[in-house]
Amino acid sequence: MFRFTYNTLVYGHEPIERGIERLARFGYDGVEFIGEPGQLDAAAITRALSEHGIRASSVISIYTPERDLVSSDAAVRGRALDYLRGNVDFARAIGAEVVTFTPTACMKITPEAPLEQEWEWAVQAARAAGSHAAEQGITIAVEPWNRYETYLINRAEQAIRFVDEVGAPNVGVMLDTFHMSIEERDLAGAVRASGERLVHVHLADSNRAAPGQGHLDFAPILRAIADIGYDGWISYELLPAAGDVWGVLSGAGAPEFLDEYTGASIAHTKRVLEELGVR
Amino acid sequence: MSRTFGLSTFTLASPFSERDAEAFDRTAGFGYELIEVCVEDPALLSGEWLAQQAERTGLAVGICGAFGPGRDVSSPEPATREAALGYLRSCVDLAAATGSPHVAGPMYAVTGQTRMLDAEDRTAQFRRAADALAEAADYAAGRGVRLAIEALNRFETDLVNTVEQGLALCEATGAENVGLLLDTFHMNIEEKSLGDAVRLAGDRVFHVQVSENDRGTPGSGHVPWDEFFQALDDIDYDGQLVVESFLPTVREIARAVSLWRPVAPSMDALARDGLAFLREHGGGRAS
Repeated sequence: MFRFTYNTLVYGHEPIERGIERLARFGYDGVEFIGEPGQLDAAAITRALSEHGIRASSVISIYTPERDLVSSDAAVRGRALDYLRGNVDFARAIGAEVVTFTPTACMKITPEAPLEQEWEWAVQAARAAGSHAAEQGITIAVEPWNRYETYLINRAEQAIRFVDEVGAPNVGVMLDTFHMSIEERDLAGAVRASGERLVHVHLADSNRAAPGQGHLDFAPILRAIADIGYDGWISYELLPAAGDVWGVLSGAGAPEFLDEYTGASIAHTKRVLEELGVR
Repeated sequence: MSRTFGLSTFTLASPFSERDAEAFDRTAGFGYELIEVCVEDPALLSGEWLAQQAERTGLAVGICGAFGPGRDVSSPEPATREAALGYLRSCVDLAAATGSPHVAGPMYAVTGQTRMLDAEDRTAQFRRAADALAEAADYAAGRGVRLAIEALNRFETDLVNTVEQGLALCEATGAENVGLLLDTFHMNIEEKSLGDAVRLAGDRVFHVQVSENDRGTPGSGHVPWDEFFQALDDIDYDGQLVVESFLPTVREIARAVSLWRPVAPSMDALARDGLAFLREHGGGRAS
């Protein structure tokens, strides 16, 4: 029932074909790409996916100060929306189903405008992106981030309220267990509350390493994901233990995120699912 | 074995000053035995006033430092290091005057520094921190005060994130009176196992702050409390357990700790419910 994918962001600068090959080798069903259409060759990716018998699952949007959907500068908001639409087009080109959405620049932790205004800008952006995505059969996944990475949507309950306000059938909630481990009192409860709105899942342990490397109990979380009838992707977004994640990835890199965590992540989840009797 | 339950002034008033005598009354009124005074500005507090308030309300006092801009003993700038050491000495003086067994906090660097450094620069920073803390420890030892170093999560510091790193820093100071402050909020993010981390720290655990995974009321979230308290029993910890959270209404604090929403119905509720939780679960074997 579950389909597995892995965020290739942590593979760093290696050629994307190697990442695709690795994920196929470890039994993944899909490949998650970062949203940098200008740096990635959709045709080459499609060829490599086909060669290794694996598909594209999702595109992770990278939000920077220049791609801030709630910037006080209307020009920045406009470019951010263009960027998001570009990710949708890229997703369509490589056959991915999901594009992620977070309204603020990553690591921006103070609003520039009143929160109600920023929320409204974010809702409008999600509706516009959702409309563009609907034409291409793509789903937009609204992801809460922990308090150190954003201030606007930190918790599932906020994402649920946001998605309900957007009111588009292809705009849903995404949950990431690393962020949840900081922000949610009851992780499985947050999954259940999201219910049929849940459209994408990132698993990572409490320390953002591969599941099993930290102290999260994944059994109740996976039980909840199964119980709500979730049929989307189970992805792993693992990142280095640093405030400056980009610094690590652009520097010496993080070798444990290659074969070691790629293999450990899917094996851990499959073991938990087996113990739960979930297929 | 008997542990002392305390409340941080961060939940009561900020910056804490001699205008906040009422905080002592409120803390005692909730039923706590100790008030942890966070020294944001030493100019706003005297040891004499703190001791008077403590005697008036029957509370013990703990001293905790705040390491905002400029307070960086690991700085490459000698003047910055010296200023930070001066601040630490004034915290030690307050501890000595109030009978606090320690000065606690992330005193090894300015909080909020999360940079990529190469191994050489990182080692140099670590060395500067160790040397400065050795100096502060020497000053503290002469006054019967210990230093309790707090590991912070990756988003708040790049120098000491885990118990293991904290122990290495203690070791590098070469001082007997330098140990660790454990804070469950940070441990939830950084430690593979909270219980193992506590046991690894062992008798170097000088102080403990309890906070939920979202900084809310202890017991309301998913911190593995049973495992944590069991490990404190295993190491025969008989020091303080201090409930810490932050007033989201104070802008500077909200920004410093990235707290963007209320994490409890009110700070009074957090203080009361936190104490009830500690009494039920955190008292140790004898309770």
